[in-house]
Amino acid sequence: MCSATEPTAAANSPAASRLRVRLERWNRKLHYYAGLFLLFFLWLFAVTGLVLNHPTWSFAESWSKRTDTNSERAITALGPEVKGDLGQAREIMKQLGIEGEILWTTIRTDANQFDFQVRRPGHYYFIKADLARNHVTLRHSEVNLWGVMKVLHVFSGVSIDDPRQSRDWALTMVWAYSMDAVAAGLIFMVLSSLYMWWELPQKRVPGAVALGLGSLICGLFVVGLRWLF
Amino acid sequence: MRGRFYRLIRDLHLYLGLFSSPFVLVFAISVFFLVHTWLPKFGSDASTTRVVSGLLLPANLQTLSGRPLIDALKPVLEKAEVPGEVGFVQHLVKEEKLIIPVTVPGRETIVTINIASRGATIVTRETGLAGAMATLHRSPGEHAPAIRMNWFYLKAWRWLADTTAYLILFISVSGIYLWYVLRAERRVGFVLLFAGALSLFGLAYVLSH
Repeated sequence: MCSATEPTAAANSPAASRLRVRLERWNRKLHYYAGLFLLFFLWLFAVTGLVLNHPTWSFAESWSKRTDTNSERAITALGPEVKGDLGQAREIMKQLGIEGEILWTTIRTDANQFDFQVRRPGHYYFIKADLARNHVTLRHSEVNLWGVMKVLHVFSGVSIDDPRQSRDWALTMVWAYSMDAVAAGLIFMVLSSLYMWWELPQKRVPGAVALGLGSLICGLFVVGLRWLF
Repeated sequence: MRGRFYRLIRDLHLYLGLFSSPFVLVFAISVFFLVHTWLPKFGSDASTTRVVSGLLLPANLQTLSGRPLIDALKPVLEKAEVPGEVGFVQHLVKEEKLIIPVTVPGRETIVTINIASRGATIVTRETGLAGAMATLHRSPGEHAPAIRMNWFYLKAWRWLADTTAYLILFISVSGIYLWYVLRAERRVGFVLLFAGALSLFGLAYVLSH
């Protein structure tokens, strides 16, 4: 049986340099090493991609199955050293024992009324702080495993549509760079697969048909629609 | 028999992988745009404004909302030569205006219809290749399923995005099989598989607890 680690015909050629043989071997090895390391990440993003594209799939419903907990909490007055919305939000979160990514959802019109959300996969905190009375109304919504997975797909702490949002939790940063690493790994896997395919002369034509068809369809959406419409 | 099965899986892994690779690249590259809210301009960033008048608006336009409103607006937008996916329509009741976002991958258009004068201001902004990829990555997305997919091409994109996800699942499972057949690589493979699982589940645990 021909295995994926066997040298290809091109590599056996006397003209093939040692470096090229080594490159081919390591390209192949790194292709499946990267694939194996990223496997669970790929499954997470593929499955949640499907679920996010089909919000009507009831088995993956999370928001309607959430558990809500409401509480009223007293906080100590925020000192003058606590400055800005971010500083105040962090101080309130510290007092409430909450950690997560801050989400600005309303525009603050009253200096004493401060509403914001805190999110982390599986948990949503809706905080309404009355700074004049040093009092907080807290709603904590907890979602199921599907909810955790869906949030992981989109949990970057920023939004391309809302410049107000910025990453303010260290773990969001870690997760965002993990998503970058998965994306970079995927790009590497695609490029390494193209190289491996090109090194198989007998598969070049059918491979080119498959690649050409995919590129044509994908290209229609990425650049073609703008020209057509 | 085993050899034939192996070759079949290996060929499917190769050809389906090649077919899906442009889609995978679009999704992977756009991750950087979405995670870092960075949209490099590979093309023009032109914004144009034009005005149209004499629009034939449905009589019951002000009473409609959601998908029926979008369906009613589609012929109007077609007449105004604004094709694309219609987003969430804002109805400014006092001003008798409708603000309609329309998206074609790589182009965003805001149509402001003045119901009383039956005129519209159309502002079009080219978002370029990066914008197109970011739009496609997020389409259709989880929000407002009732109004989404109102343009055939984005409906077709959803099928392609789904197909890409299914192909990734198939390619990863077939990849496991192809790796497992290579006995010499099993130990390293298991270590990497375990390290990957530990990284994902460890991160997910820390983030959610």
